[in-house]
Amino acid sequence: MTKKVAAAVVLAALLFVGFHSVGPVPPMGSFLDPANGVWGSAAATNFPVIQDVALAGLQSPVKVLIDDRGVPHVFASSEDDAYRALGYVEARDRLFQMETQTRAAAGRLSEWAGPKLLETDRESRSLGLVWGAEKKFASYDKSSPAFKAMLAYADGVNWYIDHMKARDLPVEYRLLNARPIKWEPIYSLYFLSRMSLTLGFNDATLRRLKTQALVGKAAADALFPVNSPIQQPIQPNGSSQPTYNFTAVPDPGPPDSTVLAVAHIDQALANAIAFRKPTETADAIGSNNWAVSPKRTAAGHALLAGDPHLDLSLPSVWYEMHIVIPGKLDVAGVGFPGVPGVVIGFNRDVAWTFTNTGSDVNDYYQETVDNEANPSHYRLDGQWKPIEKRIEKYLDKNGTIIATDTLLFSHRGPMHRDFGHWLSMRWTVYDKSHEPDNFMKLGYAKNAGEWLDDMRDYVVPTQNGLVADRSGNIAIRSSGKFPLRPGDGRGDVIRDGSTSANDWTGQLPVEKYPFSLNPPQGFLASANQQPVDAAVNNAYMGSDWYSPWRAMRINALLRADSAVTPDDMRKFQTDPGSARAELFVPYFLAAAARVDSGGHANAELATAAALLAKWDRRYVRDDKGAVLFEAAMSELATRTWDELRDPRKKPGDADRLNYPEAQILVELMQTPKSVWWDDRSTPQHEDMDDILTSSLTAGYAGLLASKGAPEGDGWLWSKTRRANIYHLLRIPAFSALDISVQGGPSTLSPSSGAGTQGPSWRMVVELGTEVRAWATYPGGQSGAPSSSRYKDRIPSWTNGKLDQILFPRTPADLNRNRIVSSLTLTPR
Amino acid sequence: MRTFVKFVLLAEAFAVATYGLGWWIVPVIALVWGLLARGAGKARFAALAATTGWATLLLLDVSRGPVSVMATQLGAVMNVPSFVLYILTLIFPGLLAFCTTTLVPTVRKTATA
Repeated sequence: MTKKVAAAVVLAALLFVGFHSVGPVPPMGSFLDPANGVWGSAAATNFPVIQDVALAGLQSPVKVLIDDRGVPHVFASSEDDAYRALGYVEARDRLFQMETQTRAAAGRLSEWAGPKLLETDRESRSLGLVWGAEKKFASYDKSSPAFKAMLAYADGVNWYIDHMKARDLPVEYRLLNARPIKWEPIYSLYFLSRMSLTLGFNDATLRRLKTQALVGKAAADALFPVNSPIQQPIQPNGSSQPTYNFTAVPDPGPPDSTVLAVAHIDQALANAIAFRKPTETADAIGSNNWAVSPKRTAAGHALLAGDPHLDLSLPSVWYEMHIVIPGKLDVAGVGFPGVPGVVIGFNRDVAWTFTNTGSDVNDYYQETVDNEANPSHYRLDGQWKPIEKRIEKYLDKNGTIIATDTLLFSHRGPMHRDFGHWLSMRWTVYDKSHEPDNFMKLGYAKNAGEWLDDMRDYVVPTQNGLVADRSGNIAIRSSGKFPLRPGDGRGDVIRDGSTSANDWTGQLPVEKYPFSLNPPQGFLASANQQPVDAAVNNAYMGSDWYSPWRAMRINALLRADSAVTPDDMRKFQTDPGSARAELFVPYFLAAAARVDSGGHANAELATAAALLAKWDRRYVRDDKGAVLFEAAMSELATRTWDELRDPRKKPGDADRLNYPEAQILVELMQTPKSVWWDDRSTPQHEDMDDILTSSLTAGYAGLLASKGAPEGDGWLWSKTRRANIYHLLRIPAFSALDISVQGGPSTLSPSSGAGTQGPSWRMVVELGTEVRAWATYPGGQSGAPSSSRYKDRIPSWTNGKLDQILFPRTPADLNRNRIVSSLTLTPR
Repeated sequence: MRTFVKFVLLAEAFAVATYGLGWWIVPVIALVWGLLARGAGKARFAALAATTGWATLLLLDVSRGPVSVMATQLGAVMNVPSFVLYILTLIFPGLLAFCTTTLVPTVRKTATA
């Protein structure tokens, strides 16, 4: 009897854990099932060598050949068929990633994870990304190619979801005990809105106002200037070298109490964006692109390099593909999983890529409302206008509503309240723009001129679009909507929302966009720097631009090489040189020499200076000088900008430190006796030399304490800066962590402390008689963590190598030995 | 020989039914087996057959894809050595079958009464 009771209890327990999740453990029955569970998922990561699938909606059969790099070559007879097939193929490789990105943009992560992600969802929805995407989607011309592509793509994704076997369910769904949701065409726009948040949200206004609250307007304007004091613009300005336009930085003034409240009014908004803010400093992030005219290349063909940097993740943010529609389209490159088509890539005639412009396309307005606690109207031109209200419901895993918010919108955008004030935000992301149309058209361009035409009405996020063609043309244009504001045109202020006279008055005409075509210098380059020299074009496009260190470096490399090869282009992408180090190291050494000649040197300073002098200013893995330089630079910023430490914040608060760009430090160095140099925590009055030498000494001492003597391995750069590529769920076992990489802050391949940002796609294209291209990215084509194609490209990415991209015109042109799987999709 | 054939057929039944219908079919088959089989030791027999059936499926997975990589990753996620997951995968159907078959006389008695 006891035996039977025990059997009954065990059986009941087994059935319970078989059907139900217990805590974080998923239902064990379906999880362990070797045919349909997690082991089956592992087996399903290898595609069949030959597979036939019926796909509803196709007009003609589509052939998809997967090459040994995991890239699908889609041969279709129409766009509709091609994007339907692409939806199917991308879902097969990246389904979980596609849904995760959608949920992140739509604020629906708590449906997976419950209340612990509720605040993240709330923040996401409060930014109005879904609201904006819905407006865009509703405004679409239903007959436009991109709209039809989104529909066909969604059909392909859903066909895959509906017909996939239990074993095909990605492992992440099993761990979350979830099922894929039906894919809606608007999800493609959700993703692009989310990307616009990453790339198109400019917080210069907040940074400048917070500084103004601490040190007054004049100083804040100088520390967060509209124009970079060091100019190496995207649109060549006629100078063969960087130009330096230094002005004296005004002394810190008294705190400006008038902006104190308003500088914090948008705390909710700041919090809302904090979750997506990179953990890196500006010197550690950024994208590059450059192109070289045939006259400066060894083979006499135009060359183009694309090197966009983004948050690193596994699976990668990019998916590589090749789409062929005979006689119409033959395009290869990368796109975003969830969005149909190639975003960066090339066809038989043209190659293109982008970097982020970082322009100011979001403004704040202080609104007057009828009821501070529960407003229903806002004041505009003497009248009360109704506030648009939107109810947002948040569900948990079981579909139960766990929270409800009412979001408010003025005609400008979402409204937020904090510190007793209401602000609304106008942002180009909320415009009824159709970026997928732009991206889709690019693949059809026959030359650089057509490509530029295709980008004329592109809106957001503003991008430095670089193009080269087989005729030898190279061109760059900072494309997107640059709003025109009334008055002085500045966007880095908070305007009075009670009058429409403060609203945007239009946008910069395309003819005024930063632009260059076939410049005499024979090359073009962009690296997120100020796109055009104000002396050439003073239209307001933004402020507080990244320091142009990477731009200076790539320009120097390109100037020095008049016979560039594709391999040179590849090497440039991981070049360890640094314009920032070249500029700052001499200042440190000169200060140390002056202090020494004045008889004030100490042994520590002398040793540190000697070590720094020996450094070749290159961030290579076996180098030991870079770590000292970076420690000194960190000390230098902390000691110099002590006036900018927010006294209301605790040490460790992310927004306690609000330092200007490093180029402002260089500007300040032109005034060695400026009071900014004074360290207010000491009784004596320091000047520039004091701060430079104390920073160097403190950096050296800190390293001795934390890493031991410089002779040891602790100082190796490879032990200091690593890349960390996290899985979307931040599961370490699915991530690639602690990867040694070449490069440092402000190098062309910048790396930083956290190592979570970096080159997301490296590409070199030669526009010869036959287009040739090489590329890699930090990840792999498969989204399945156990797949051999999940992170197979990381070694080449780490070592600065590129793989040649296969670019067959027909299925027969693809080398049979390179085909790992052949999928035939037939109409059903 | 007859016992061996019976064993193979039962193990195959567990494997094929799991493949087609899912894990929950294991206790159902064990129940049917318990009702049909005669003699002592049928619970152990069913347990071994179920384990063998799932082991066969697992071996098929191993031959098709990176099961060991998956095991290592999941072991790290769940904070257990990867072999524990293999053992769980083999014990789970065995225990289901054993317990179900053990309870068959009770089920039969209840049904008869």
